Amino acid sequence: MRILIIEDEKSLSESIVSCLKLENYTCDVAMDYHVALEKIDSFDYDCILLDITLPGGNGLDLLRQLKEDEKMDGVLIISARNSLEDRIAGLQMGADDYLAKPFHLSELVARVKAIIRRRSFGGSNILHVNELLIDTQARTARVNNRLLELTRKEYQLLLYFVNNKDRVISKNAIAGHLWGDEMEEAANFDFIYTHVKNLRRKLIEAGTPDYIQSVYGMGYKFTVV
Amino acid sequence: MKLISKYNRVSILATVAVLVAGSICYYFIVRYALIHQLDNALRVEEAEILDFVRTNNRLPAATNYKDQHTSFVATDQGFRRRFRNITVYDPREQDNDAFRQLVFPVTIDRQLYMASVTKSEHETESLVWLIVLITVGVIGLLLVILLFTSRFLFRNTWISFHNTLQAIRQFNLSSKKYAGAGPTDIDEFRDLDSAVQLMTGKIVKDYETLKTFADNASHEMHTPLAVINSKLDLLIQGQNLDEVQVKQLQDIYDGVRRLTKLNQSLLLLSKIENNQFTAVKPVDLKELIGEKLSQLEDITRSGQLEVKTEMKAVSVPMNEYLAEIMVNNLLSNAIRHNRIPGSISLLLRREGLVISNTGPALDFDSREIFERFRKGDHSEGNGLGLAIVKQICDTYGFRVSYAFANDLHNFTVDF
Repeated sequence: MRILIIEDEKSLSESIVSCLKLENYTCDVAMDYHVALEKIDSFDYDCILLDITLPGGNGLDLLRQLKEDEKMDGVLIISARNSLEDRIAGLQMGADDYLAKPFHLSELVARVKAIIRRRSFGGSNILHVNELLIDTQARTARVNNRLLELTRKEYQLLLYFVNNKDRVISKNAIAGHLWGDEMEEAANFDFIYTHVKNLRRKLIEAGTPDYIQSVYGMGYKFTVV
Repeated sequence: MKLISKYNRVSILATVAVLVAGSICYYFIVRYALIHQLDNALRVEEAEILDFVRTNNRLPAATNYKDQHTSFVATDQGFRRRFRNITVYDPREQDNDAFRQLVFPVTIDRQLYMASVTKSEHETESLVWLIVLITVGVIGLLLVILLFTSRFLFRNTWISFHNTLQAIRQFNLSSKKYAGAGPTDIDEFRDLDSAVQLMTGKIVKDYETLKTFADNASHEMHTPLAVINSKLDLLIQGQNLDEVQVKQLQDIYDGVRRLTKLNQSLLLLSKIENNQFTAVKPVDLKELIGEKLSQLEDITRSGQLEVKTEMKAVSVPMNEYLAEIMVNNLLSNAIRHNRIPGSISLLLRREGLVISNTGPALDFDSREIFERFRKGDHSEGNGLGLAIVKQICDTYGFRVSYAFANDLHNFTVDF
């Protein structure tokens, strides 16, 4: 899988690259409009992370160029502008998703994977982790072919964990993923614990190893040995 | 006091003063001139009498007409020739008539006579009064015309001024337009209008600059925040973190989260102020609140909050996104400032929405509760949630109020 990161903030693109490399993605970085345009012309990417404000041009113009060239690259806009209009404009122009800064890397990974899954052909909506199988189309999870009875939140949580396996996910990131921005109102994230606990119990009862580990007071990690 | 009243008061006072003084002077001058003329007539009579005496060496016959009479009285005492005013009682009309009289000495055969020629002043008086009356009439008429023309002039020429005033009143920063007063042939008003035009243009420009600045500053802040967040996400992957470091990382996460939220809130406030949410449609509040409550269920449950609702189907025309923010902020507020265990109750009716929650009393003046950055000493919010609610309500003409009664915080939104 090959991913192009178009982002002029060097330290941010470095973070993104080091995170995506763990997922065995090949990463190219473009720091300005013209380099990005060249790369888009020369290669096909599975996913392009696109910042809107770039030195030398506007990211949306790159998106327009992609669509004009009828390229199939998936596009995830990562923008500092978090407004409804920008979001709608980006999606209408053919971007697959829109992620507002600041974001958590785990959220970025989950979104990138979702885009790649949607874009590639054939059986790609099935995720395997040993005996665990997740059907992202039907939004179901099975262990050893037995259906898991999960609530909507538990399913979302499981998918998020699987997308970010072997990575520590902070409670902030989980809260942001499951409840969105509104969640900031709750100063502590105790209620996350309930959901994780239930999911963990259901997985173990279905016969999986204890994949979900609590990491200090920080968050959780889905470890596949 | 209106300018026209002030102007009229001064100009009428001045005109009346001049009129009164002028009339008095006029009266005396005309009277003097007419008396002078009368005296000349008397002198002519005198000359005729003296002429007659010199020729005939005897006195002419005394005459007595209505307007003029002459008389001769023999006298021993010498006297000076002089004019004098006399009044004679007229028994017929039962009043005193004024006369002008010239007395002069006439000597015939060493006998001294006091001759007097008397003429009635009646005609003169009438003439004086007639002239004075005409004058007063003309001046009065002038005054009335002056008043009307000034009023008419004021009404017409000041239209432009009132238009300018109206345009200034209607000017607001979000519409960015100053309508102007339209064409006028009065230089002063044209100057005024163009000055206001210039000024509002400058205000709009400054405001735009400021807004763009705030907008850009807020947006620019998001990128460094993204950097911090991503580095934190990488940092926590480390294997050798101890408890203290974890606590510190968690604190940084929280700091970033609060800063992000603060930034978003400020941006949202300025967007609402600038009327950037224009799409309005009927929003089903019952459905919206129900949705929000189920989203927040995890939090209310973990806070052991009992949620009671009594909601009728109510739909209010407003922007969907803003309706969501309004409901979300009110609910979040009720959750955040609750006690454990506590309760929240929602009452939705056609007239409005009441959200009540248990919780400790405010430690600040309740009138300031909707002000920006006003919050309790122990609040972990950013102090903008209720300010945003107020701003949204103001946009749609809703009245939002707060009251503390029966140990309950009540927030009421009247649609």
